[in-house]
Amino acid sequence: MNWILFVQQLINGLSLGAIYAVIALGYTMVYGIIELINFAHGDVYSAGSFVALAALTLLGATRHTAAAGLVFALVVAFLAAMLVMGATGVVIERFAYRPLRGRQRLAPLLTAIGVSFSLENILQLWMGPSPVPFPQLIPNPFFDLGPVSIGQMQLVVICSSLVMMAALHFFVQGTKLGKAMRATAQDWMAAEIMGIDINQTIALTFFVGSVLAGAGGVITGLYYGNIWFINGFRAGLIAFTAAVLGGIGNTTGAALGGFLIGFIEVMTAQYIGFQWAEVTIFSVLILVLIFRPTGLLGQQLPERT
Amino acid sequence: MTCGIQPGEMRTKGGDSMRRPIRLLAGLAILGLVVTVPGSGGLRPVSAATLVKIGVDLPMSGGEAPNGVPTNNGVLLAIDQANMAGGPYHFEEVLKDDAVNGVHDPAQGAKNIQELIADPAVAGIVGNFNSNVGKATIPITNAAGLVQISPSQTNPGLTKPENGALDVRKAYPDRINYFRTCTTDDIQGPVGADFAYNVLKVRRVAILDDQETYGKGIADEFEKEFKKLGGTVLSHDGIPKGTQDFHAILTKIRAERPQLVYFGGVTTTGGGLIRKQMPDVGLATPYEGGDGIVENEFLTVAGDAANNSFGTVASINVERLGAAKAFVDAYKAKFHEEPGAYSANAFVAAKIILDAVKAAGADREKVRAWVAGLHNYNSIIGTFSFDANGDTDSRWISIYAVRNGKWTWVDQIRKGQM
Repeated sequence: MNWILFVQQLINGLSLGAIYAVIALGYTMVYGIIELINFAHGDVYSAGSFVALAALTLLGATRHTAAAGLVFALVVAFLAAMLVMGATGVVIERFAYRPLRGRQRLAPLLTAIGVSFSLENILQLWMGPSPVPFPQLIPNPFFDLGPVSIGQMQLVVICSSLVMMAALHFFVQGTKLGKAMRATAQDWMAAEIMGIDINQTIALTFFVGSVLAGAGGVITGLYYGNIWFINGFRAGLIAFTAAVLGGIGNTTGAALGGFLIGFIEVMTAQYIGFQWAEVTIFSVLILVLIFRPTGLLGQQLPERT
Repeated sequence: MTCGIQPGEMRTKGGDSMRRPIRLLAGLAILGLVVTVPGSGGLRPVSAATLVKIGVDLPMSGGEAPNGVPTNNGVLLAIDQANMAGGPYHFEEVLKDDAVNGVHDPAQGAKNIQELIADPAVAGIVGNFNSNVGKATIPITNAAGLVQISPSQTNPGLTKPENGALDVRKAYPDRINYFRTCTTDDIQGPVGADFAYNVLKVRRVAILDDQETYGKGIADEFEKEFKKLGGTVLSHDGIPKGTQDFHAILTKIRAERPQLVYFGGVTTTGGGLIRKQMPDVGLATPYEGGDGIVENEFLTVAGDAANNSFGTVASINVERLGAAKAFVDAYKAKFHEEPGAYSANAFVAAKIILDAVKAAGADREKVRAWVAGLHNYNSIIGTFSFDANGDTDSRWISIYAVRNGKWTWVDQIRKGQM
């Protein structure tokens, strides 16, 4: 076995998995708190890249912009994508999901699919039906690490994802708002009795998840150099699978699931055949769910009524 | 000849003035009905010409609009010219879009074709663009006995019995109704392989395809011919639908040290992004594909990495044909752009149906029989006949290369009778 190639693929898997993990966080947070599979989340991710592109176009940033201007443009693009998508998440929750809260579970699920299609079509109307080039503002040279190498953009993807995951972990575990989120997820009735504003907490969950997805969209836009209105579909599906694999409702599990699926995808490409990537991913998922029906890190939740 | 309500027409013999407003209303209602009946085209000066419709089904929206729109323009031009020439028929196009969410969709194509068949004024269909859509639509037009001519579907399995075409034209295997003005991938793929082996002098290739009817078909044909020539195929992988990240598979391919990467598929199913990401993993080989990547969208997606890519197109380059000069000029005058890769093929496909109607009348079976008997048909893409399976015997393949960020014509090859 060629270990150099194996390590090289591990690096590829790490950067691919980091993207899945960031998107998976949004799925798992929303599911954790209102048990809704928010199918629109993948499209929120792809919409983030469109907002960033609009911001960059407005600022006139290109590869040839001077370094200081470039940093400024990137900061603005990230902020714009994160805030706009965060707000979008809140609006979606308020108008599409909240009116259906407490109804039978199929209704919000179908609504989520509808929101997903709506977002895709809005993006298509906005920037057109063809793939749109995204300015590659960060150069992508290689750094040699002995016999293997890592691209600068891969480093950016991995590092920024880790930073976001750490920030989320701190937010959920270490702040009062995070505590309110955890309490609502555990038992929203009890949480309400304790004086937690449930609506506000759920809206906050959507905001945070969508902010992460928006940032993820900008990162992949910069990495792949192309965005397309339909991109959120597969990314969302795989990230949702990652969330289930890791144990839906559990943020650490979602991150773990994202990286695992990234590794499975690259190793399938290397050793089995790229066309089997999805088959392998879902086979692993099924195997895991047979032995651990709640996913790798998921816990048996008490039955809610 | 005029049609319309004459001033005195509504007055009845009895002259009952009480009933007049009612009759007037009824008249207006009928008039409204005529105006709003879908497909009736509204009020038009009725001439003696019989209305005959040409159905068209192409991907007109989404990432594939750059394929469908110029192809449809070819049809529009043919219809325009036929109407301009006058005659007993007035031709009209019924356009259907088979793209769903930006990607060509066989189920949508089948639905469109059924709608076209249901319209008795449709004498023939030009379409579709993508081979897998054809797999879904040809059985329907075959059962209905409606002529269908594709400008661009290149999969051999749509016509050739040895590739499974008898399952496609199941209803009436001997009553050929599906024809094409392009040649097939069992010509296009091998010409691509010949070009790689003999002109680019490449001996080791890695192949990727998008696992669709067209993409996998042409990649398999490329592989077969390349091996036959004595070259080595290091690997042949399919790519999962919707993939954006090709770094892993390209890393694997780089380790195999190929001299060329061949891609079977279209720009939006991975053709563009694969090319773009090749430099990311240090894969500096040339890139080759079929007609699915020879379009401007590929240049946009692949960006700086597009140079040193090659592509085959299953048709002749009309700009190099004297016979097509009038077509190219008329196209540019009407649409203010260069014709697309399949505009001329679509023009000829439509013109065959128009000529069939003029010669044999608007009856579907007569049109079909006329087209099936097409022999030494003189067209802007040369003189050709349809063989017993509906394929053209004009087997031209053009080869293009990306130079300075633009697709430029390199060569064209005519494969002999087979």
